[in-house]
Amino acid sequence: MTPQTLDVIAGWVGFVLTLLIFSYLLADNFLYRLAVYIFVGVAAAYSAVVAVEGVLLPWLRGTLLAPGVSAGQILFGVVPLLIGLLLLLKSVPRLAFLGNLGMAFLIGIGVAVSLIGTISGTLIPLIASSGTAVGDNLVDGLIIILGTITSLLYFQYLAVRRPDGEIVRPWPLRLAGAVGQIFLIVTFASLYAGAILSSLTIFSERIAFLLAQVLG
Amino acid sequence: MKRISGILASALVIGLGLITLWGLFPGSPVAFIATVLVQLVVVVSAAAVLIGVINLLWVHLRRVLRGDPGWPYSLALFFAALAVIVIVTLERLNLIGGEVSLSTFLFNAVQVSVESALASLIVFFLVYAAARLFRHRVTWSSLLFVVTLLIILIGWLHIPALDFFSGVSEWIRTIPASAGARGLLIGIALGVATAGVRVLLGQDPSYRE
Repeated sequence: MTPQTLDVIAGWVGFVLTLLIFSYLLADNFLYRLAVYIFVGVAAAYSAVVAVEGVLLPWLRGTLLAPGVSAGQILFGVVPLLIGLLLLLKSVPRLAFLGNLGMAFLIGIGVAVSLIGTISGTLIPLIASSGTAVGDNLVDGLIIILGTITSLLYFQYLAVRRPDGEIVRPWPLRLAGAVGQIFLIVTFASLYAGAILSSLTIFSERIAFLLAQVLG
Repeated sequence: MKRISGILASALVIGLGLITLWGLFPGSPVAFIATVLVQLVVVVSAAAVLIGVINLLWVHLRRVLRGDPGWPYSLALFFAALAVIVIVTLERLNLIGGEVSLSTFLFNAVQVSVESALASLIVFFLVYAAARLFRHRVTWSSLLFVVTLLIILIGWLHIPALDFFSGVSEWIRTIPASAGARGLLIGIALGVATAGVRVLLGQDPSYRE
């Protein structure tokens, strides 16, 4: 089979699957579900293939299956298998407490990585760029700083209890929260518009694909 | 035994977490240990993905064998996954393919087509949901939301007669929307950092349950 023939077949398979998915616009039906289940099967198998080819096989080739493998390499290669085994024990109620050790391994390292990533990749760059925005344009920069701070304050729930037992938020916080709410609504509307435009672009591409298949 | 396992789990989380944290700082003397630990987590995660996929296939195969409601869908899922695994395996063993890549063919024909078709369907639900916003009650927040949405959508059209909207749309996206997004992202980052510190201090024992 030549690559050209395969491209033609791929085009028609894609055409049929696209139509099956679009049939959902009429109602939830057998054809739509069939296409989705096929998609899930293919996607799951691809992720398994990537995990095996990209991570597991190179690991095994570098440790347990390495030529002239040493005792240290064997020990090192077995560690993830042991942790995996511990994780599997989570599904056995009587031995679930052993599975916690595997979870602890993943959580300890995962938390450290996410902590470093959050601080160096999100917090510091965002705070720094919000601060420097004032230098580019004073009014816009101040609006960005105001919006950032008030959006953050919108999500805090500090309140004081009055002598009569009523719990109220101090007025400066209420005011900041109200301003923050405006910024958040504008942000969500902007993200919503972005989502509409993106899906509209993909939709028009799909329609062009269907027409190209039919008209040649 | 369970108590000892719990204490050991906490010690593991705190110990490994702090070593990894220290190792990830630039110029750290324990950077090598952190790299190895992260590598181990990647391998365990990949193994977990593989186990998850095997479990998924097993669950659907059982549905087919038992004749549960919806078994034809499970059959389609099982054979679709099996086809990918068999084709990729035969290709890697150089038993099929050669000039043409059947795995790329499957990817383009199924994955790309269905994914983009599903993504394109979203436009209908988004527009319908926005139209339904005023059905119950008009509030200032829903009004602000829809007005902002319309300004950005009209601004995107780039019609010369409506050029004003393009400028306003650009300003909304780069200044107030960007400010709100920064607030959200900083809030999420602060939440993640707080949760991380709590785990590393042993104040969050949920992983022992």
